Amino acid sequence: MNFDLSEEQRMIQESVARFIKDNYDLESRVASSAKDPGFNTDHWNTMAELGWLGLPFAESDGGFGGNQIDVMVVMEQFGKGLVLEPFLASIVMGGGALKRGGSESLKSEMLPGVIDGSRQLAFAYAEQQARFDLHDVTTTARQEGEAFVLNGQKSMVQNAETASQIVVSTRTSGGQVDEDGITLFLVDADADGITLDNFPTVDGLRASEIAIKDVSVSADRILGEVGRGFEILNAVANDAMLALGAEAVGTMEVLYKDTVAYTQEREQFGHPLSDFQVLQHRMVEMFIEYEQCKSMLYRATMEAVKGDPATAQKAIHGLKHLVGKYGFFIGENAVQLHGGMGVTEELRLGHYFKRLVVIDSMFGNADFHLQKFAA
Amino acid sequence: MDIELSAEDLSFREEVRQFFSDNEYPAGEDYMTWRTQWFEKARQKGGWDVPKWPADFGGPGWTPTQHYIWEQETARASLPFDLPFGVGMLAPILMAYGNEEQQHRFLPDIRSRKVNWCQGYSEAGAGSDLANVKTKAVLSDDGTYYMVNGSKMWTTAAHMADWIFCLTRTDASGIKQKGITFLLFPMQQDGVEVKPIITLGGSHSVNSVYFTDVKVPVENRIGEEGKGWTYAKGLLQHERTGLAGLSGSLVALEKLKEQARSVTRGNGTLMDDPGYRAKVAELEIDLMAAEYTELRSLASASTGAAPGPESSILKLKGTEIQQRIQKLTVEAGGIYSAAWGSKPIGLPFARGGMGGYLASRAFTIYGGASEVQRDVIAKNVLGLKRSSK
Ligand SMILES: Cc1cc2nc3c(=O)[nH]c(=O)nc-3n(C[C@H](O)[C@H](O)[C@H](O)COP(=O)(O)OP(=O)(O)OC[C@H]3O[C@@H](n4cnc5c(N)ncnc54)[C@H](O)[C@@H]3O)c2cc1C
Repeated sequence: MNFDLSEEQRMIQESVARFIKDNYDLESRVASSAKDPGFNTDHWNTMAELGWLGLPFAESDGGFGGNQIDVMVVMEQFGKGLVLEPFLASIVMGGGALKRGGSESLKSEMLPGVIDGSRQLAFAYAEQQARFDLHDVTTTARQEGEAFVLNGQKSMVQNAETASQIVVSTRTSGGQVDEDGITLFLVDADADGITLDNFPTVDGLRASEIAIKDVSVSADRILGEVGRGFEILNAVANDAMLALGAEAVGTMEVLYKDTVAYTQEREQFGHPLSDFQVLQHRMVEMFIEYEQCKSMLYRATMEAVKGDPATAQKAIHGLKHLVGKYGFFIGENAVQLHGGMGVTEELRLGHYFKRLVVIDSMFGNADFHLQKFAA
Repeated sequence: MDIELSAEDLSFREEVRQFFSDNEYPAGEDYMTWRTQWFEKARQKGGWDVPKWPADFGGPGWTPTQHYIWEQETARASLPFDLPFGVGMLAPILMAYGNEEQQHRFLPDIRSRKVNWCQGYSEAGAGSDLANVKTKAVLSDDGTYYMVNGSKMWTTAAHMADWIFCLTRTDASGIKQKGITFLLFPMQQDGVEVKPIITLGGSHSVNSVYFTDVKVPVENRIGEEGKGWTYAKGLLQHERTGLAGLSGSLVALEKLKEQARSVTRGNGTLMDDPGYRAKVAELEIDLMAAEYTELRSLASASTGAAPGPESSILKLKGTEIQQRIQKLTVEAGGIYSAAWGSKPIGLPFARGGMGGYLASRAFTIYGGASEVQRDVIAKNVLGLKRSSK
């Protein structure tokens, strides 16, 4: 039994932590978020130079051969800074689909650019009628000779605005909610028939609605096999939930610690707020649930790396449930214990709180995963 | 005990409904003109523009049941926009502690909504510990005016207000609750500066307000110098009863169900989801009970007593219910709740849902934060004492 990070992982952790500390004060984050492309391209290049973008890719693909634990280490630190750069969208999601399903030639065409940061990806899986069900897909792909013609709509796609390629889940056969019959395509973002409607999200990031009209995609852009895309889709979603879980844990840590610090500084009734027992206990609960989320994160991540798929899947449902539920709990109480200051945009905690609310809405909320776990 | 509405109550309800439907906002017309007229017509009904004012001051003198009916109906109808500061908060103070000249000077314009007021209580150092106000008011040598210096924080609608009612410190030598003086003065004058505070949803409703050598004539002091705390405390209870918003929650709950039914999920809608349904049901049950808590408190208030400890229960329960409705709206919005552009994405209610959720976090902070409300109940209702800490 050993919960220690490897020497290498520890070094990555330290370097990401230092990067966040040096670059990610609230003011710069707000400024980067407001300006196109919605994040800091210098930061993105730094992340590439420091090798972080190559972490989860095999050495044979030009990466560092890392796994979910390495991504966890990075994402937890990113959560502490509320990082805007599209690591999740481009590396974990888009890159995750490509590395799993791309042909050797497609990978060698695409992955070097993904890893050096010059090429960004997005992952378009959500559709309105589906709510949180990955396998509820109505976007169609119809074969025409060597190509497929795609039609449909995708929702809340992160990083579509800056991506050069977008992974799109489509239905090539079967009924609307069948797991069989889903096919993934790597579509050029500037292809004819792709229309983006871009907008900000409440956490300071950006997303797009994508209309797909008669978009022709060559068959060599299929990820995995025709009709067998769900397996990849689900694996990418699992990796994304682990990454989001790690980010959430980092975010929660900032929230509970900021609250502990604030209540010691702020005085009312001639005492620091931290003297009041009811607030002490509330902060203890925040701390306990943060630790529980962290434990679940470790558990789910290790199961994903080592365990059998069914066990890992269950642990991931558990993780997403916990970080959703306690994300709200910790976020709402951090705000409450800051009083009026908690609801201003001036302090960073409100921004961290909003990110946790968004994390709950991605890939299924706390309720959804509770039901999946129980099923 | 009897919950049947009497024949008179039923006809009162009819009359209220009729009034609301006769005076709906006619689309396209000037809103402010309609608003002024609406309050005027309500006044002519016999004090319907100021339902909570006592009959002596032109209020309708309703029974608790009539108040309840009014609340229920107002939540369903679309009434003109109204701020609570003048009619709901300052007026009761003026009636109880203002002199006749002040009542004549201020109440008519409060009633007609001609003058907008804001509440200058909280300061950076005086939040839950409100008695800690430091804004200084110094009486001039000739005793004709106070010179006010200092600042207020969190002042809602200060940027739209004509006047402010303000807690100031005239004596710092004794205990904090003594030496607070209650002053009224105009906002549009040199020496008053308003700066916005932007809240989580990105909106501007609260402000910091700075006072530099603001002269306030002694005629604008409510009651005696140094007794402002007593006056303000009475007012706080009025503020709290107003914040439970139960009838609004009843309507919001209906809307929530409707929204959930518009969200597809598998072969059905979100309202077919057992987990979601259960949460909505729990909410509904709490709301049903809280409605009766409110009725019980109304009934006891009808004996003329000031709103008592029930107002703390109601504020706690009512704001918690409002927050749960908002959170369930965010849950219903699913992935679309994150969208934060100028127009709704995916589900029409999702953008407003997130805005509402974020704004609702302040409900358990202002008007007495929940932790402090529980202190009030512990002390005043359960009779619990706290050790020195
Ligand atoms: C949106 C909004 C609108 C407002 N509008 C107005 C307005 O128009 N006019 C006005 O005067 N004020 C207004 N306020 C101010 C409001 O009344 C204060 O925010 C409130 O009294 C809490 O004070 P605070 O923010 O300083 O928090 P603090 O008093 O610092 O409290 C912080 C936390 O500590 C807890 N706490 C404090 N004391 C204790 C204790 N003894 N025991 C246990 N817990 C405790 C609180 O419950 C809270 O969770 C507004 C505030 C907001 C957020």
